[in-house]
Amino acid sequence: MSEPQDRRAAVTGIGVVAPNGISTDTFWKATHEGLSVVDRVTREGCERLPLKVAGEVRAFDAADTIEERFLVQTDRFTHYAMAAADFALTDARLGPADTAQSPYSIGVVTAAGSGGGEFGQRELQRLWGKGSRFVGPYQSIAWFYAASTGQVSIRRGFKGPCSVVASDEAGGLDALAHAARAVRRGTDAIVAGSTEAPLAPYSVVCQLGYEELSRESEPGRAYRPFTTEACGFVPAEGGAMLVVEAADAARARGADIRAYVAGHGATFTGAARWAQSRAGLAQAIRQALAEAECAPEEVDVVFADALGVPAADRAEALAIADALGAHGTRVPVTAPKTGTGRGYCAAPVLDTAAAVLSMEHGLIPPTPNVHDICHDLDLVTGRARVAEPRTALVLSRGLMGSNSALVLRHPSAR
Amino acid sequence: MSKITVEELAALMKKAAGVTVSPEQLNDKPDTGFDVLGVDSLGLLGIVGELENEHGTPMPVDAERCKTPQQFLNLVNNTLMAGA
Repeated sequence: MSEPQDRRAAVTGIGVVAPNGISTDTFWKATHEGLSVVDRVTREGCERLPLKVAGEVRAFDAADTIEERFLVQTDRFTHYAMAAADFALTDARLGPADTAQSPYSIGVVTAAGSGGGEFGQRELQRLWGKGSRFVGPYQSIAWFYAASTGQVSIRRGFKGPCSVVASDEAGGLDALAHAARAVRRGTDAIVAGSTEAPLAPYSVVCQLGYEELSRESEPGRAYRPFTTEACGFVPAEGGAMLVVEAADAARARGADIRAYVAGHGATFTGAARWAQSRAGLAQAIRQALAEAECAPEEVDVVFADALGVPAADRAEALAIADALGAHGTRVPVTAPKTGTGRGYCAAPVLDTAAAVLSMEHGLIPPTPNVHDICHDLDLVTGRARVAEPRTALVLSRGLMGSNSALVLRHPSAR
Repeated sequence: MSKITVEELAALMKKAAGVTVSPEQLNDKPDTGFDVLGVDSLGLLGIVGELENEHGTPMPVDAERCKTPQQFLNLVNNTLMAGA
């Protein structure tokens, strides 16, 4: 028998491209300060659509970090993914020379809700405006929701297990769980996460069919979950990529273990059936806690899904109480995404990044723009709360009915 | 019908495949593979499509299978000259 191995899945790197920051440091500063950056939609072609407020990534120039030949063949959502992956790998101190030594030991897992809408719209306009001969060949790959996994792996030369999770917004958490499983099965590291770019005209029009989308035009009032003023969610772009790495591999190269991906659960309760999501989300939480061997009382902070639709908010508050018992009404709950908007699959990955940073910094970030909670929850509002979270629970639900929960443990947790 | 020059090919490589290469480079080392230059199969397909639209004439099917700029220019220019 060989030496006992520690194949626990550790987070060793975080890369963020978010509406409130293009680096992990700026993202965390804006997040713990409760800065709200949801704002009037300014993206070209979207100005006159009924969606008025969104979380746009405005300070990002893809050409600063990504080679032109990758830019011409990819959509904005993949630009974000390539940049966030670079940031995460740099953060984990895994440079090209390190990963080139054993390319089969590192892979990529992403989740995407809508793929490359902006690129696709441009090519479809050429198709109907000029004819099929004017559609560029890269349309065949750029729109596809698997594009980010493929391009990140090609660009960085990763040849380990690669996959794409297509499971609704909760897929962001499922991708991290999938990465953790790959690591436990023997791959040293997976770059995992999600980035989205749903703020192009075609993509916005697709979202107008969602009853849950906020039509409010005043940024401060557009996304206020868990209040009587809840009027839907504000969409966002950007996202995060994490390096999920085997604990022993991380230790062998002297890398810091930031947190463990300790447990995950996923269920499905059907599109827009928010009352039913209560049971589904509670079950996902129970599964995640069971896998993490975590008692409900050990959960120190909950990063809520926080859809902003009264029936969905009620179901989530009840699901937390169902799964955590009396602890569910005492544990601090937060939803920093009210300050950035909800980036579909990317939203729970940003929440996971915030959860890791929250445990590192001993601060629970607040829920911007939200006051006067109408549910039995200890929602952190106003200012960040000083605490020592050692176990974080991240929740996500999708508009199409997926529910997921992820348990993260601080390295000092048992 | 005019021949396609290295200048034109370099511009198309930039536009369709995002690859920056100077006409001088293409002249000096015309046998450097498209793969080495960073033009993948879809990129070459895009270059062929641009040429077809620009010149209003189909390119030979083998054009998108050429391995080097030299091969590509020979094939495409022979076709254009033959059709002229």
